[in-house]
Amino acid sequence: MKLYLYGIIDSSNQIEESIYGLEGTGVYNIPFCDIGAVVSEINQPIQEVTEGTVLEHEAVVEKLATDFTILPVRFQTIIDGRDNLLSMMQSYYKDFKDNLERLHNKLEFGIKVIWPADKIKENIIKTLKKGKQKNPESNNSQSKKFMTEKFEKYKIDKEFQTKADKFIKVMEIFFSKFAAEKKLRKLKTENLLLDAVYLVEKSQESNFREAFEHIKSGQPSLKYLFSGPWPAYNFVILSKQSGLLTDSQKTDLLDKVTQDQMLVGADSI
Amino acid sequence: MIANGIVETESPEEFIEEIEKAQDCLPKKIDANPKTVEKGLAKLVLTLIELIRKLLEKQAMRRVEAGSLSDEEIEKVGETLMKLENKMDELKGIFGLKDEELNLNLGPLGDLM
Repeated sequence: MKLYLYGIIDSSNQIEESIYGLEGTGVYNIPFCDIGAVVSEINQPIQEVTEGTVLEHEAVVEKLATDFTILPVRFQTIIDGRDNLLSMMQSYYKDFKDNLERLHNKLEFGIKVIWPADKIKENIIKTLKKGKQKNPESNNSQSKKFMTEKFEKYKIDKEFQTKADKFIKVMEIFFSKFAAEKKLRKLKTENLLLDAVYLVEKSQESNFREAFEHIKSGQPSLKYLFSGPWPAYNFVILSKQSGLLTDSQKTDLLDKVTQDQMLVGADSI
Repeated sequence: MIANGIVETESPEEFIEEIEKAQDCLPKKIDANPKTVEKGLAKLVLTLIELIRKLLEKQAMRRVEAGSLSDEEIEKVGETLMKLENKMDELKGIFGLKDEELNLNLGPLGDLM
């Protein structure tokens, strides 16, 4: 029998609440030592990924997260039978335990910030034109003209990056007090200034939100997306690279069903 | 259906657009379809060449900025970079590739460029 895996939890007890997962089957916990793997039975791999199936998976993970610390497992992780599942648990047990302890009582929040890249660049160009630049002198040589143009573009890009760094530094001053861990991606696109995820102690949730509101009101011209609280999708770290899982057992463990995917629908998966 | 997590924004369309933009140019798998394998390989090779070209260009700009290149050297470097860029444009045209397609997703390390 194939088992659809939702996540690893910090309990070996049965789940008291009735939770229904994919294909409407009951979700239950398979214990291993003092932790457990939460699964439901599935007849065949999911043929068609739809927004509905992604959300069903997500709903189970989030429901579990209210009562347990959970290491969410990638959408569509199917394991061939209980024995293989227990072998996998044995193989990864230490990693699972370490992560469960590290992530206990913590939540994940996502913050994305859009800035007007075109306007920022326009202003940079204006400022650079005002200043006296020691660019390579232009003459009739084609290669020198090429270098002059490239150098101007280089200066604009450099200033653009500096401005992005400055904004992110300011954000960090506010968030570092309340976030236990963070992962930042700067300028994923020219407009997407910041794509960040923060791991926050449950007790710090309201402080973290307050810090976000403070940043937002300080820079009202930028656009913000705040998401969460989520289970710690982005903060599970596996030190063990190989285990008893094989490709056929869908080894893509502990990756995340991203909030991006939730936003743009199942097509992007 | 979602129990706890919420997404709050006043500009959902803009965020969707930017996220899609970031994802669009990064295929999760190498395209090994027999009909397009040539283009898939060209894309991979050109991505690596583009990375090296950009690194060379950046290094050259840093040296110009630092004033450590003579006029003659600037001329020579400019000619080399210009020829390299023209050749890349030509190859991109042959394989029907756009600038934003020349990138690789390195998983947890992020994008190559």
